[in-house]
Amino acid sequence: MKIRAIRYHAGEKTKLSNLRKGQKAKVVFLNTEDKALRRRLLDMGITEGVHIKIRKIAPLGDPIDIEVRGYELCLRKFDMSMIDVEVIS
Amino acid sequence: MRIALVGNQNSGKTTLFNLLTGTNQKIGNWPGVTIERKLGVIRGTDFEIVDLPGVYSLSPYSIEEELSRNFLFEENVDLILNIVDSTSMERSLYLTTQLLELGIPMIIALNMSDIADKRGIHIDLKTLEERLDTTIVSISALKKTNVFNLIQYIKRGDYRKNYYHHIYDHELEDAIVLLKNSTKSQHPKFLAIKLIEEDPTFLQYHNDETKKIVDDLSKRYLRDMEQVVADERYRYIENIRDEAVTARHDQMTWTDRLDDVFLHRFFAIPIFMVIMFGIYYLAAGPVGGFTVQLVGRYMAIFSNWTRELLVDFGASSWSVSLVVDGMIAGVGAIMNFLPQLIILFLLISLLETTGYMSRIAFFLDRIFQKVGLSGKSLIPFIIGSGCSVPAIMSARTINDETEKRMTIMLTPFIPCSAKLPIITLFAGYFFKGNAGLVSASLYFFAIAIIFLSAFIMKKFWFKGKHSSFILELPDYKIPNVKFVVFDVFEKVKAFIQQAGSIILLASIAVWFLISFSWSLHYGINPELSILSSLGKVLAWIFYPMLGTSSWGAAVSAVQGLVAKEQIIASMAIIAGYSDTTSEGVLIFGSSIFGFFTPASAYAFMVFNLFSAPCFGAIGAMHKELGTTKKMWQAVLFQTGLAWILAVLVYQIGHIIEVIL
Repeated sequence: MKIRAIRYHAGEKTKLSNLRKGQKAKVVFLNTEDKALRRRLLDMGITEGVHIKIRKIAPLGDPIDIEVRGYELCLRKFDMSMIDVEVIS
Repeated sequence: MRIALVGNQNSGKTTLFNLLTGTNQKIGNWPGVTIERKLGVIRGTDFEIVDLPGVYSLSPYSIEEELSRNFLFEENVDLILNIVDSTSMERSLYLTTQLLELGIPMIIALNMSDIADKRGIHIDLKTLEERLDTTIVSISALKKTNVFNLIQYIKRGDYRKNYYHHIYDHELEDAIVLLKNSTKSQHPKFLAIKLIEEDPTFLQYHNDETKKIVDDLSKRYLRDMEQVVADERYRYIENIRDEAVTARHDQMTWTDRLDDVFLHRFFAIPIFMVIMFGIYYLAAGPVGGFTVQLVGRYMAIFSNWTRELLVDFGASSWSVSLVVDGMIAGVGAIMNFLPQLIILFLLISLLETTGYMSRIAFFLDRIFQKVGLSGKSLIPFIIGSGCSVPAIMSARTINDETEKRMTIMLTPFIPCSAKLPIITLFAGYFFKGNAGLVSASLYFFAIAIIFLSAFIMKKFWFKGKHSSFILELPDYKIPNVKFVVFDVFEKVKAFIQQAGSIILLASIAVWFLISFSWSLHYGINPELSILSSLGKVLAWIFYPMLGTSSWGAAVSAVQGLVAKEQIIASMAIIAGYSDTTSEGVLIFGSSIFGFFTPASAYAFMVFNLFSAPCFGAIGAMHKELGTTKKMWQAVLFQTGLAWILAVLVYQIGHIIEVIL
């Protein structure tokens, strides 16, 4: 079990999967290795510099529903851990 | 003229398609309802329109998306009707800009304008039209607003002929021009960009010249070109958005409030279980059971009336028997269950149209992930409680091959509507007070077995590898009564057609086989019939789960391959023959099926639930799995598992029965 006690604050750099419900962040870099998946993430609007908000977390903690470019998208935590972000709030 | 209807998943394409053509294709509120292209003709014109599966981009991720791209790239399309979801403009325009690159004339239908209005999203149509140089019509397909105008535009042909705008920076645009000159294609601009992105499906179009251009380009950017193109495209869209779209931010919508309940940390799964239990309890429990008895009574009256009528006409005894003991007994046994199926179809249809189904996929994904399935597997599983055939086909939206294959193999385990009569009949007779509970227990038993088999398959068969889950969560919608009623009507029609064709023919065949001996003597003891001798060959297989050798049960179970409800039809005919009691549901009162105990009844239900599905579903598995070998693996796996489970259930149940 990973400990999720750390709360990341504005300006800090972390992985998208470390954010809590309601937090906002800016995408810095996509580390996703699977080419098809990365392509898909790009197509869904997760490009560098885009703002993301954590909207809903599934009752079992995974997957997570994020708001990006005005709509809601569900991703698994593992895939989110490949996305580097800078926390906004 | 040929028009292609293209847009994101769940953007309302099929709703618009139905309006334009006056047909009634299936719609739903989850991404990926349409998995095959559908053809139609726009009302009052001779324009052909094609409803394509939803796509987010022209770089496909799953099979049904590939179908859409291939259609646009390879077939001759005269006009693209791009349906844009007003509530998520940026993502929709991402596809729009790619479609523009195809160089095919295009009209944009800005859908869900009413919902956008309510959410405070304002779209400046004029600016948007100018920036994209494309005719835009704001519509609401659901409320039917402005659709007539849209048809007028298409008819008169006075839409803007979109000219290409510079989307990318100079270096990229220059490279595109160079590439256009050194390739040959109907869609040169589109191809040029695909070559820059190094899209694997377009590698065949590369030549020495183009390779050099792309190499030079990527040396200058020092970044992955795919990402550069996507970044630039979104930057361009952001500019358009800033000019043409204004939106209020951060407000609680109805969807959010409902999600606070339905996706609640502690209540989400209990709520889901109550909903699924409720559906089964209503359909197979007291309410459904009551309707079965009611219809059964009228069927018995009809059966007797027909017999008397035919005898009065002086019909020969074998022809009376064919009609009454064969056709009416078989088909009638199935028709008893019609009202109950209407309840089931209605409830599933509601589940599909409200948007709750995507939520179930969302919160169960974690569990599915553990056993090597995707949350998206849930959609086939839920549709499977109606019919396995469309359910197996809907597995196409799962992009991971292993997950898809496992889902296809496991979907038939869900009790489909044809298995419901078997469950209701047995549960209603052997577990009188708890019929609803026992029916629901089979549903949850099926889910448990699905998880267990998936887990085992992942461990020993398909070696686990990581997979992803990307799903858009649609807003909740109030179900449209007209669509729900139509959906239920279609399914009921299909059920009646099946009863009137396949079940009727099979019933006649069963009647023939039980009425005649091998030497073609009529009016013999059923024990000496052809059917009985066939059944006796198979009876030993069923011995360990029934505790006795029953040719009637064996021969009926095998007929489940024709259609699962045929098992009931066959049992009704055989029971009617072995005794003089021709009164409706008295299958278990007959001497031939009198041996059933609660334990063997439950075991027999379990066998029919998990064994190979009907030919229709096996055909669907064959098509979706791709090879005959994989199909056989699936069928043998299902039947083998069914046998083992049924035997276990009987043996354990029998011990309990003896002790009590």
